[in-house]
Amino acid sequence: MNSKASHSEPNQTRSGRPARLSLADWMPKIVMAPTVIITLVCMYGYMIWTAILSFTNSRMLPSYKFVGFEQYERLFNNDRWIVALTNLGVFGSLFIIICLFLGVVLAIFLDQKIRAEGAIRTIYLYPMAISFIVTGTAWKWLLNPTNGIEKMMVDLGFEDFKFNWLADPDMVIYCLVIAAVWQASGFVMALFLAGLRGVDGDLIKAAHLDGASTFTTYRRIILPSLKPVFFSALVILSHIAIKSFDLVAALTNGGPGYSSDLPANFMYAHTFTRSQVGLGSASAMVMLGCVLAILIPYLYSELRGERHE
Amino acid sequence: MANLVIENVKKSYGNTEILKGINISIKTGEFLILVGPSGCGKSTLMNSIAGLEDVTEGRILIADKDVTYTTPKDRDIAMVFQSYALYPNMTVEQNISFGLEMRKVPKEERQAEVQRVAEMLQISHLLNRKPAQLSGGQRQRVAMGRALARRPQLYLFDEPLSNLDAKLRVEMRTEIKKLHQKLGTTIVYVTHDQIEAMTLADRIAVMKDGEVQQLGTPQEIYDNPANLFVAGFMGSPAMNFIPAKVISQDGKPMLELATTSNVALPFPKQEALEAHIGKTVLLGLRPEMITEPQPHKEGQPFVTTTEVEVEVTEPMGADTMILTRVSDAEINCRSNPMYPAEAGSIIKMMFDTSKAVVFDQSTGQRLDK
Amino acid sequence: MSKVNSVNIKPIGRKTSALDKVLRVALYTVLITVAAFYLVPFIVMLITSLKDVEEIRTGTLLSLPSSLNFDSWVKAWSGACTGSSCGGISPYFLNSFQIVLPAVLISTLLGAINGYVISLWKFRGSDLFFAALLIGCFIPFQVILLPMARTLGWLGIANTTTGLVFVHVVYGVAFTTLFFRNFYQSIPGELVKAARLDGAGFFTIFYRIILPVSTPIIVVTVIWQFTQIWNDFLFGVAFSGFETQPVTVALNNLVNTSFGGKEYNVDMAAAIIAALPTLLVYIFAGKYFVRGLTAGAVKG
Repeated sequence: MNSKASHSEPNQTRSGRPARLSLADWMPKIVMAPTVIITLVCMYGYMIWTAILSFTNSRMLPSYKFVGFEQYERLFNNDRWIVALTNLGVFGSLFIIICLFLGVVLAIFLDQKIRAEGAIRTIYLYPMAISFIVTGTAWKWLLNPTNGIEKMMVDLGFEDFKFNWLADPDMVIYCLVIAAVWQASGFVMALFLAGLRGVDGDLIKAAHLDGASTFTTYRRIILPSLKPVFFSALVILSHIAIKSFDLVAALTNGGPGYSSDLPANFMYAHTFTRSQVGLGSASAMVMLGCVLAILIPYLYSELRGERHE
Repeated sequence: MANLVIENVKKSYGNTEILKGINISIKTGEFLILVGPSGCGKSTLMNSIAGLEDVTEGRILIADKDVTYTTPKDRDIAMVFQSYALYPNMTVEQNISFGLEMRKVPKEERQAEVQRVAEMLQISHLLNRKPAQLSGGQRQRVAMGRALARRPQLYLFDEPLSNLDAKLRVEMRTEIKKLHQKLGTTIVYVTHDQIEAMTLADRIAVMKDGEVQQLGTPQEIYDNPANLFVAGFMGSPAMNFIPAKVISQDGKPMLELATTSNVALPFPKQEALEAHIGKTVLLGLRPEMITEPQPHKEGQPFVTTTEVEVEVTEPMGADTMILTRVSDAEINCRSNPMYPAEAGSIIKMMFDTSKAVVFDQSTGQRLDK
Repeated sequence: MSKVNSVNIKPIGRKTSALDKVLRVALYTVLITVAAFYLVPFIVMLITSLKDVEEIRTGTLLSLPSSLNFDSWVKAWSGACTGSSCGGISPYFLNSFQIVLPAVLISTLLGAINGYVISLWKFRGSDLFFAALLIGCFIPFQVILLPMARTLGWLGIANTTTGLVFVHVVYGVAFTTLFFRNFYQSIPGELVKAARLDGAGFFTIFYRIILPVSTPIIVVTVIWQFTQIWNDFLFGVAFSGFETQPVTVALNNLVNTSFGGKEYNVDMAAAIIAALPTLLVYIFAGKYFVRGLTAGAVKG
């Protein structure tokens, strides 16, 4: 067993003689102090500040007149916010489900001793290396109602082909889904592929000896063992979905109107552009709530699982 | 070289007491071994001696100087670790001279030291290699070289042979013993292997649950264990513990056992048994004291021959271990491989109680001190 | 544990049947189609950027340009209009470098020394703090935008590249610490003990023993941070001024600014230019990038 160089703090002996404090005892703490301060202030401190602001009547500048839950009431009576939240639900669910599905399937396919696997993997993953702004810009052009896919299909002979989702308030959200899936599914595939590669080969041999077909082996033995990867991917994808701001800004800018708005864009607009700091802060707190709602059960189950082992 | 005094050292982590008051005094040049099961606190004690952990109470003195609050660097101690802890990015030569470099020893001196140590340990041909290119035994020697080059007052060895295979372990054990004889260094050595402890130590400290159960020479510990734990820990195969009733026969207290029939065994320290007549005690008898009948021992004062039923035999080559049941306890006997003993047969065995010990059944303490 | 990474072990006696061959073809077809799905957007971007406006209007997405016209590239670099100034995205490209390079350096350094402390010099509360740091990784940045904006103003670095460096360091150090800490977990504690007994101090051990073996994780961290910070938009748009905005913000402005008709070729060229650095890093050091992704996903 590797024992770590744990160095407990020098303490007073019962005889009262103070322990000589050497620089070595303090150095680790001094070194970490900047990060500690930064974390406390710029993460937790700011969170509290924003929380406080959400209970005030701040408009263009922060004010500290408390108005209880008024901002939250205004928030949930705001049509644009409701649209944004609903969009998040739709976008988030579709994005996560499709990414997970694609990721698993592609990982399994790639696991089948494919020639040029490296090249294919590189192609699947490269979207993750570029900014959401670039992605949004590219897809904005591809999905362009007059010049994009629609025009291409029409010119190819499909005269009645229509693809103006980008301009359709009811369908624009799906454009976001397409672009986001394009960007992130490769990442999910990489995660699952790494997970598949980590499966104990002896398990597979045992399954073969037991007579299981390839399909059954995947379904009954391999995939269930990938549950941790699945949950990791779920948490990360949810995080990406909730934070989505760049993609909307580039692809639709919330439009047409505000039909493709997401909470992040709502928050930014109201806090920085529309001088509604209190309202914006409230929206930020709700977003935080969404993240915590996913994170806390996940962490709890992780810790509980560890104790069982 | 220096002596080491551990004075009433206690160590707690929060509410858990790991060391409960350790008192050990080691003379200059002595080879002391700390032995005990995992969790007994021996590694914690080592770390405290080295200064890598603080003590909650007590003092540590090296060369009669109180070093309880001195940093590890200033205690002038070298340590050899179980996993060798060689610096992976440095060559063997750099590994050995690192400690000297930290102490600002000039380059020529450092190189001379490295040469001296490398020759002593026969690793001169490895000086330019990195740890990853060495075998386990070679790494072990480099780790020792690193400690030797520093010429410290005190050497600490933390289970250095545990990661080696059995054959290499025996070889290195002898090397360490030879080095100690040649250099006269003061050594504190931790192991869980009691054969290592017996062969290497000048004195052994048997530890359990943060306390020293017994401190003595290997022979003392072997022949005169302080309690049940020490008796059962040292010696392989372990000492047999047989429940025996103390009876009075011809005015003398004897120990009654049940084999195929009841037999009464004599005991050297009769006064100790007087007080316990009528009670059941634990008789401690080592396997080599229960043998096939040996003519030259016939008639000796504490030798009794009786019959037992053989359960299992384990041929070991030089001896054969015979497992049998006495007073409902399974015991090991050591016999000549030529002595006929088949599973299920009833044979005669000679019980030599001249070196036997007795323990209280509930407390495990020695009754015949 | 044997690392047989595929279910496709061929036990003796099973010959490749016709069905297997068909399935194999189907497999490759699917994989290649999907690859096309990933590649097409980029190809379209490239093609579009090489056409002139007329060709765009009359052609379709995938119609090839008649000649390789790099005019739009030049314009994107130095002449396009991003809002009210029309100097192309080159100044902002430079801004991004000014922001990214210091931020990557500082956050990596801090992450290394933090990881070193948390793994090998534990003290009371260090593990708890690490957990708090980790949770901080997950908060949506919306909750810190406004307070940070005010803080930057108060510190006098609002709308400056320095300010952005500060922000990226603050919110990057949690990830870099995670990477280094996970890496240093595999260094045995006895190594540090041995060094201390040899007389080495805190920084000597870090510099002489730990850093030399840290090359793999340094590479992963630098690549990860470079990509994250270069591609960032939220902090850029919230905390930079017009002169100091990074290239992502400039790109977005460029695309959304249209005096007269929309010049899609310029938009596409600008987008490719903005994406080039991280794309090149990915192409040349891709496997480290993947390692960073999967390492970040496997927390604690």
